[in-house]
Amino acid sequence: MAIRSQLLKGILEGCILAVIEKQPVYGYELSVKLHEYDLDVSEGSIYPILLRLQKEKLIQGQMEKSPNGPNRKYYYLTDEGKDSLEEFRQKWDWIKKPVDQILEKGESL
Amino acid sequence: MNTQQLISENNRKREFLTKENKEYYEDMLVYIRLSFDKSDQETEEVLNEMLDHVLLAQEEGRTAKDIFGSNPKQYADEVIGELPRMVTKKQLQYFVMGIFYLLAAWVGMSGIISTGAYYLFHVGELYEDHYLVSQILILLISIPLAFLYLILTLQYIRWSTFKSINRVGEFLLLWLIGMLSFGVFFLIYYFMPDIGPNLQLPAYIKIIIGVILFIFGRILYKRI
Repeated sequence: MAIRSQLLKGILEGCILAVIEKQPVYGYELSVKLHEYDLDVSEGSIYPILLRLQKEKLIQGQMEKSPNGPNRKYYYLTDEGKDSLEEFRQKWDWIKKPVDQILEKGESL
Repeated sequence: MNTQQLISENNRKREFLTKENKEYYEDMLVYIRLSFDKSDQETEEVLNEMLDHVLLAQEEGRTAKDIFGSNPKQYADEVIGELPRMVTKKQLQYFVMGIFYLLAAWVGMSGIISTGAYYLFHVGELYEDHYLVSQILILLISIPLAFLYLILTLQYIRWSTFKSINRVGEFLLLWLIGMLSFGVFFLIYYFMPDIGPNLQLPAYIKIIIGVILFIFGRILYKRI
């Protein structure tokens, strides 16, 4: 269980970096976007991750007025964040194909 | 936005929560705020984000429980675990501010009690004896005790936040702890021998010193 949730956390972190790279978002917006991609994680789980990504200086938060009024904390990718996302992409490519193949073979056996 | 602005924003926006969401959110708010060694700016920022999230989800018919799960304490612990620590300089400033307030309360109250006792009940004198070394010793023992009491109280509130506790029992317990700590302070004061040169201070001077110390504490708080 522990290994599984660590793995999921790492993947979720990568996905969050990728969403933020496209466009700066605030918390609620981020959770909506993840759901649009059918990534069914509990909504609240993004806040501890956002805090961790800030601590690791991969993203940076900034209070700004949103188009519809209230102040929101928008997250931007830092240079370190861009590097980390690139690294995640490479690792994902490296693992995605073999895992898919193994899973398919496993089913056909 | 600075910490104070975030807090007043939070107070204003919280009123728009439904009763159920308000109860859930406020428990978490109290619990997270009581992790006092965390950066207060970051704490208020994430609390504000979480509140915005609940407010938006609420309009779509989802509750705080749907968002943060059915174990708010566990979720709050997760958030606290990721919050950055408060910088040492700020911790020190809060500590010094605490000392100023404590001294202000101590000196000021002692002045007010002496004045009240003298004029209302004709007890004691307006010019009281203060033995310098004794006073310093009392302070050196009382200040750590007061901080210990403060920390224990905060820990107790943290522990009790997500539990439904018998209110009468809780009141009696806090009353007992309060009386005990008051008793300890009183014993220290009472049994302290007279050491060092005697300063005779009139009670009104003590009230003035108390007010000045309070203002210092207040200025420090504004600057943190």
